[in-house]
Parts: sequence; C-alpha cells; structure tokens
Amino acid sequence: MHCDQVSKDRQIENFVKPYEMCCTPYYKLDFSEVTRKLCRDKNSRNEIVANLKVCKIIIVGDVSVGKTSIVNRFCRKMFDSSYKSTIGVDFEMECFEILGIPYNLQIWDTAGQERFKSIAQSYYRNSHVVVVVFDLSKSETLSNTRKWFLDAMHTCGDMLPYVFLVGTKKDLLGGFAYKNAELSAVNVAKSINAEYWPVSSKNGENIDSLFARIAVLTFDDCVKNELLRPREIYIGSNMISGKANRSDSKKNSKCTKC
Amino acid sequence: MSASEMSFEEMQEEIRNQLEKLQIEEDSLQEEMSTIMNQAPFLNEKIKSLKKLVPALKIIEHDAVGLVNTINDISDSSEKISGKIRLLDEARSRVQECQSRVCDLIDLEICSQGVQAAILDSDYEKGAAHVHRFLSMDQSLLQKTANDVENISNTLKSVRTLQDATSQLRALVEHKFNEAVRNEDLVSIERFFKIFPLLGIHEVGITEFCTYLRGKVSLTAEKNLKTAITTPISDKRYNIIFADTLTLLFEGLAKVIDIHQPLLETYYGPGRLFSAVNILQKECDVQVRRIFNEWMKCRQINKKMQQISEISRIGPNSSFSKLERIDPKDLDILIGEITFMHYRSELYIRFIQRKVMADIEIGILDSQKKEECINAFSQALNNSELTQLKHELLSHYLRLEQYFMEESINKAVAMDSVDSSQQTSSMVDDTFFIVRKCIRRSISSGNLDGICAIINTACRVLENDFCDVLRSKLRQGYPSGYLDLTQAYNVLQSSIQQGRLQSGDTEQSRTAFIVALNNADSCIEYVDALCEGVLKEIENALPGMNSNEHGKLESCLSGLSSVTSNLKEIIEYGIQQLRSSVIKPRVNPWVDAFLNISHQFTEEELSVYEAGETFVQTLIMNLESLLSSFKDMLTVANYDAFVGALTTEVTQRLEKVILKSSFNGLGGLILDKEVRSLASYITAATSWSVRDKFARLTQIATVLNLEQVSEIADYWGNHDGALTWRLTPSELRSFLLLRTDFKPDDVKRLKL
Repeated sequence: MHCDQVSKDRQIENFVKPYEMCCTPYYKLDFSEVTRKLCRDKNSRNEIVANLKVCKIIIVGDVSVGKTSIVNRFCRKMFDSSYKSTIGVDFEMECFEILGIPYNLQIWDTAGQERFKSIAQSYYRNSHVVVVVFDLSKSETLSNTRKWFLDAMHTCGDMLPYVFLVGTKKDLLGGFAYKNAELSAVNVAKSINAEYWPVSSKNGENIDSLFARIAVLTFDDCVKNELLRPREIYIGSNMISGKANRSDSKKNSKCTKC
Repeated sequence: MSASEMSFEEMQEEIRNQLEKLQIEEDSLQEEMSTIMNQAPFLNEKIKSLKKLVPALKIIEHDAVGLVNTINDISDSSEKISGKIRLLDEARSRVQECQSRVCDLIDLEICSQGVQAAILDSDYEKGAAHVHRFLSMDQSLLQKTANDVENISNTLKSVRTLQDATSQLRALVEHKFNEAVRNEDLVSIERFFKIFPLLGIHEVGITEFCTYLRGKVSLTAEKNLKTAITTPISDKRYNIIFADTLTLLFEGLAKVIDIHQPLLETYYGPGRLFSAVNILQKECDVQVRRIFNEWMKCRQINKKMQQISEISRIGPNSSFSKLERIDPKDLDILIGEITFMHYRSELYIRFIQRKVMADIEIGILDSQKKEECINAFSQALNNSELTQLKHELLSHYLRLEQYFMEESINKAVAMDSVDSSQQTSSMVDDTFFIVRKCIRRSISSGNLDGICAIINTACRVLENDFCDVLRSKLRQGYPSGYLDLTQAYNVLQSSIQQGRLQSGDTEQSRTAFIVALNNADSCIEYVDALCEGVLKEIENALPGMNSNEHGKLESCLSGLSSVTSNLKEIIEYGIQQLRSSVIKPRVNPWVDAFLNISHQFTEEELSVYEAGETFVQTLIMNLESLLSSFKDMLTVANYDAFVGALTTEVTQRLEKVILKSSFNGLGGLILDKEVRSLASYITAATSWSVRDKFARLTQIATVLNLEQVSEIADYWGNHDGALTWRLTPSELRSFLLLRTDFKPDDVKRLKL
C-alpha cells in the first residue's frame, strides 16, 4: 500500500486553497499548528507515518458526466474521449507527500447507472470525501447532484465526509455559457454545503489542484484526530468529538435536507 | 641640467634593463639551438631509413593498380552475365503469368460451360466450385486479357455468363437454404451452408445459418420456459426453477456454439465466430429477458424490493412496520436462486468470451484489426441485454442480501439466550454464522464487486448495529451489589417489605453485563478468523484476480478487520465500568486498612505483627476471593484486563495511603516485603505482565527501605546500578520524608 517514490508534483508543502473562497464551506487555509508541529517533530513523525490512515474518496454522479475521466487524468495523466461505462466500482491508489509525510488517497470511482447503486452505496460509509460530479454542459446533471448528495448523507453513517461539487467538461463551454453554468453550480454548492470546483479532464485544468485540496484538508484532520484521540478512549464521548470538529460547518447541511 | 642628468641616469637604467633582457633572450636561444642540434643526428637517421623505403613502395603501388584493373574486368563480365539472368527471370515470370492467364481462360471456358450445366442438373456444389474458381481469378486482369486476345467476344461472354451464374446461384442457394429450413431438412441445410463461402458470401451464409440456429434455440427456450411456469409448487426444484431454465438456455447455446464452431472454421475459415456469436447473442438476450421477466413476476421481486426499501425508510425501530416485515428466512431460498442465476450468466459470458477471443487470436493476424475486433466484441457484450440483466440480478441480490443480513442479525440479537455453561451468549455465534453465510453466498455469485459490497455491508452491520447492542448492554452498568453482609441484609429486608425481591434482577443484569463483555472479546477472535478465511475462499473462487482487484478486495477486508478496534474500545469501556462499580468500592477499604497499622515498629512489635495476620495477607485473601468470583465468568483476555484494572486501582490506592503514613526503618522493611509479595501474587494470577504497573510502588518501597538517606545515590544518577525512575525528584523527596528517622535537612540537601 505504501509508495516508495513520490513524484515532485505530488509533494505538498503549502496548503492548497479552494477554487473560490466564496464557494466553499471549509474555511481552512493553512495546516493547523498542531499538525505542523507534529510533522516537524521527529518522534511524532514516525508515529504519524505508522498510524496515518488512508483517505477514502468516493466519486459519484450521473451517467457519463466524466467521473472515470477525472480519475484517469489524475492518476494516469491521460484522456480518452471514447465513452466506456464503468462496471460496478473501480479502485485507484495515489500517493501524496504532505509536509514530508506519505499520505495515500484511495479513490473509489463508481458507476452512474441505477443498477450499480447498491454497490456504490456500500462504499459511502466511512469515506472521508464525497465528490459529487456533474457535467457543466448539461444542466440536468447538476440538478441531480442534490439526489446524489442526499443519498451519500443518508448512508454515510456517523462520520460526516467532506463534500465537493465538481463540474466537468469546462473546455466545452465558452465565456458566457460557462458563467451561466457556474452561477447555478455555485448556488447548488451553497445549498448542499459543498466546495465547488470546475475542471476539465481533457486539458487537465484544476484536476491536480482539486485532489491536492482534498489531500491537505483530510490530511490535516487525520493527523490531528487520529493521533490525539487514542490517548483517551471513552465510548460515546469519542463519537461526539469525532463529529464535533466539523459539525459547525455541517449544521447548515442538515437544514437543507428537510 | 639636473633634468638631463636624471634622464641620463634613467636612460642608463633602461639600457641596462634592455641588456639584461637581451642576455636572457640570448641564453634561451642558445639553449634552443643546442637542443635542435642534438636532434639533428636522430633526424638524419630517420631520413635515411625512409629513403630506403621508397623503392618498395613503388612496387606496391604498381601491383595495386594491376589488382584494380582485374577487379574491374571481373565486375564488368559478371554484370553482363547477371543481366542475362535477369532477363531470363523476367521472361520466365512473364511466361508463368501468361500460363496462368491461359489457365484462367481455359478454366473460364470450362467454368462457363460447366456452371450452366451444373445449375440445370441442380448440382450446386459443382456450380459453386466453378463460381469459386471464377471468383478466385483477378477480375481486372481478366478484363485486360480479354482485350489482348483475338476472340474478345468469346471471353467476355464467358465472363458475363459466369457473373450471371454467380448471382443466379447466390439467389438460388439462398432460396434453397430457406426452403430447407422450412422443411427442417437438416442434410440440405448443412449442404447449402457449405456452399455459401464458395460463392463468396460468407456473411450471408453465417447470417442465414445462425438465424436458423436462433430459431431452434428460441423454440427450445420457449418450451423450457413454459414448463418452468407450469411447474407445481410441490416440485422439488420449484424454488430454483428459473435458475434451471436459465442454465438450460445457456447450456443449449453453448452446445450450439461448440458443435458448429468446427464446421464454421472448416468452411468459412477462422475469425468468423464473432459474427455468428453476435447473432446468437440476440436470441440469448431475448430469451434471458423473458426468463427474467417471468422470474420477476413469479417471485414478486418488485413487491419485495418495495417492501424492503419501505422498511429501511421507516427505520428498524418503528413498531407499526412489524406486521409487514418479510421474514429473512423466506428470502433465503430466493437469494440462493439469484446467486445461482448470476453465477450461470457469469459463466456463460466467460465461455463466449473465451471462445471468441481464441478465434480472433487465430483468425485475424493484423494487430490493429485484431484490436478493433476485440473492442467491438467486448463493447457488444457489455451492451448486451444479458450483461445488463446480470447487473440487475446483482443489484437485486445485494439489496436482498443486505436486508437478509440485517434482519437475521436483528433476530439473532432479539432471540439472544445465555447458556450458563458458556461465557458468551448465542448471539455471537449466530451473528457470525449469518455474516459468514452471506459472504460465502456472495462469493458463489462469482462477482468481485458483489463480494466487496457484501463485505462492506457486513462491516457496517457489525460496526454500527451489532456494536451498538453490546455498547448499550454495557452502558446499563454492572450493579455493584452489596459490600458486606449487613448491607445485604438491609437490602433484603427492605425489598421483602416492599414485596419484591431485587436480587434476581441484579443477578440477571450482572450476568448480562459480563456476557456482553465476553461477547465483545470473542467477536474480536471471530472477526480475525472471518477475514482470514474469507480471503482464502475468495482467492480460490476467483483465481485470476489482477493486482487492482486484489487491492480492492484487501481494502474492503481491512475495513472489516478494523471492526476489532471498535470492539476493543467497547471492552475498555466495560472494564472501566467494572473498575468503578466493582473494584473501587471493594478495594479501597481493603487498602485503607493499611492506615490502621502503625509502621514504626520496634523489634518486638515486628515479631508480633508478623506472627499475626499481616496487612498484605488480608489484602491478598480479599483479592483472591474477588478474583476467583470473576475468573470463571470472564474470558481469558477479559480476565487479564480485569486483573490489570484491579492492579492499577490497588497500586494507586496503596500509594495514596503510604503517603498518609509514616515509617521507621523496620516499617520500611516490612513495606518492601509486603509490596513484593503483593506483586508476585498478582503476577501469578494473570498471564499478562503486570510488573510495569508495580514499578512505581516497588520504587517507593525501595526508597522507604533505605538504611540512610545517602544510599539513594546507589540508585539515582547516571551510573550502571541506577534505576529508571518512575518517580519525580520531588516525589522521591516527599517519600523519603515519610521516614521519621531521616533528617528533613538531609533529604532537602540531596542533589537529584
């Protein structure tokens, strides 16, 4: 599972900012002090490397919006314009090195068809990040994202994941059309409390930044929680504390459900 | 005047400098000359030897020129010869070509004459052979030949005749084939099937023939389906009748492919199975869809799905949904049928994949074309109704299986019973039996995604529902019970007065607590065993997994095995409960008895103390009775954890009471002895090492057992005999001060 060599573009020293400050519910702009300190110190570094969990990401969205293309662009640096539907769920591992510490992303690329829903659903639970994907050039895929989001929230269990709303095929839209699409996308992102990113798998625009952003956000949490928590195990209280660190930003999302 | 003098002196100086320079130059020139002179004889020698070489070189040059001339001559003559040969070659190939043209022409004549006769005689094989010969000729060349030959009209006429005959034969054979199909004339069908490729219409032949086969498959399939629908419920195979029907269909198709592939390969050549399979697949799709629809109707799948999603929407706890709940037992057989159906579809898909891929591999040599063909085939297969239905089957399976697992485990929990001879209750065995059964069944579907999804579900059910049950049982706490007889008597009195006897309830909830704790412990073992067993079983069932699929599976399994960390937390919680409700209230008074004893012994008092029952003897006896009551109730690991908690409590409390006492030398000695015997008692009581928990206490005893304050230097510091101290310097000082015979000033003066 561990990777030996991490390429230059997968090494992160500085925190990655959201695409637009105005369309994200996650206001974190830098590694927290604790994380930086733990990563600098030699002893705690080893402990982190040994205990750090992988980051589970699940990618969902309508049929043929380009879920697999995002993953292919990110993991293999390639783009294939011919359409091939995903069967069941695909699995990829990708390694980052954040503040000198190897950090694995585990990406679950699901199929959009209804008949694969029960497979995809079994992966929602315990995932750290849910990436809801839509096609910028097809507005109905954007309106369906709400359904995907609610589905994920319904089955994800106690741990509230980070939610990203990703619009694909940005290269297909020019100036005005894009502005329009973005406007409605930002509205949806706000209503489901997700961070919005427009990308193009064809030319690679924003793909790496999106995943780097995912990596730093979850890395910071992981280092903070996973290492500080086990010192005092108390059932019940630990579940609350696990939830509490993000509950402030999530409270709104609950409201949108009803 | 002085200026000119100055300038004179300057000039003199300059001249002297120049002279010096010249002298240096002269010296160097002299040196150079002498070296040159030295080289002169050597050079002369060289020149002499070179001069001797000149005549020899002249001879060589002459010879070389001669050689060049000879070679030129040879090459010229060979050029002449090879030119002739080339001409001959050309002539020969032309003759050959000519011959073949003549042959073609002769054959053309023969064919054109023969073909009509053959058609008239209905000897289609012969006619087709003639046409095949005609088609194998280069048509454009034929045209050219015709132009060259004198009797143009004759040749052209033959060509036209043959062309006519070809189209005539094609139509005829097609017609005859269809007639044969109508008459079910197997011999003729095969006869005409073989003629198609001779006429150059392979695709038509395959299409016609496979359409015929398709019809046959369709007839059998319909018959089978009808039998399936009319099968009485009492029939032994009623419950899997649709899986049987599906199997029959697949077996029939496989047989058709197996029988006709050699025929196809012999008469049509390899690489054409793809087209044949494509046509048959259409029928397969139609039939599978029909079977599927009938199955859905007969087994009321939609209704069940609706019920299940209704139940999951309402949630498991609401009471009014209880009436319409489906008993998971009723679904058991149905789920079995689905996995069976799914597995059969999977097998059949793999079968045609293997067949067609092998055929393409042999039949199509051009690598690009091959790739195109393979892509087209897999695309067609992926888009086929069969594949779609297979996915739908899987989807139904997953939903039913998930419901089955959840409900069965709910039932197992509800019907939980405790057998007093067992440390755990029935729900652990039952639950893991169910989980294992479900995962095994998913393995039998033959689909990795299905297996992974079920593993994920199992993980969720265990981690959420099941752990919640254990947790809530532990949260009710362990009733602390009566600390001594008088209290027990009082409680008994009051409950008799109130007309209820509590002790039964208390006993029950105690057992429930202990059982839940043991359940959690044995679950850890079960989870580990489950993960290990499942991985092996899957590797056996799906031997050809690639590294990516392996990664997928392993990551799902690691999710399942991480359930153990939740279970460990639960156990920790339970032990803490025991610590506060059982250990603390009992241990504290036992240890506090330490305060009743003076630790400033005279020799005499010491012997009296040691003759009687000492503090530590009483403590060990009390601990013994407490531990023995738990030893048989708890699992080994839990008992160890319990002893660990007890040790922590005892040592911490003892430390506190020591701080409240004061000692003389003998008192310290006794304390050291008592701590040692306590440590060895507890170490013997458990398989775990509890030495670590005693470290502080042992060190405190060591400190209090010193002869003099200065002796601490033997233990403190950086030398070999020093201890790894668990006490801080200030703690150490405060313990030293408990010794009444140590001077506080000495203690203060210690450098630590």
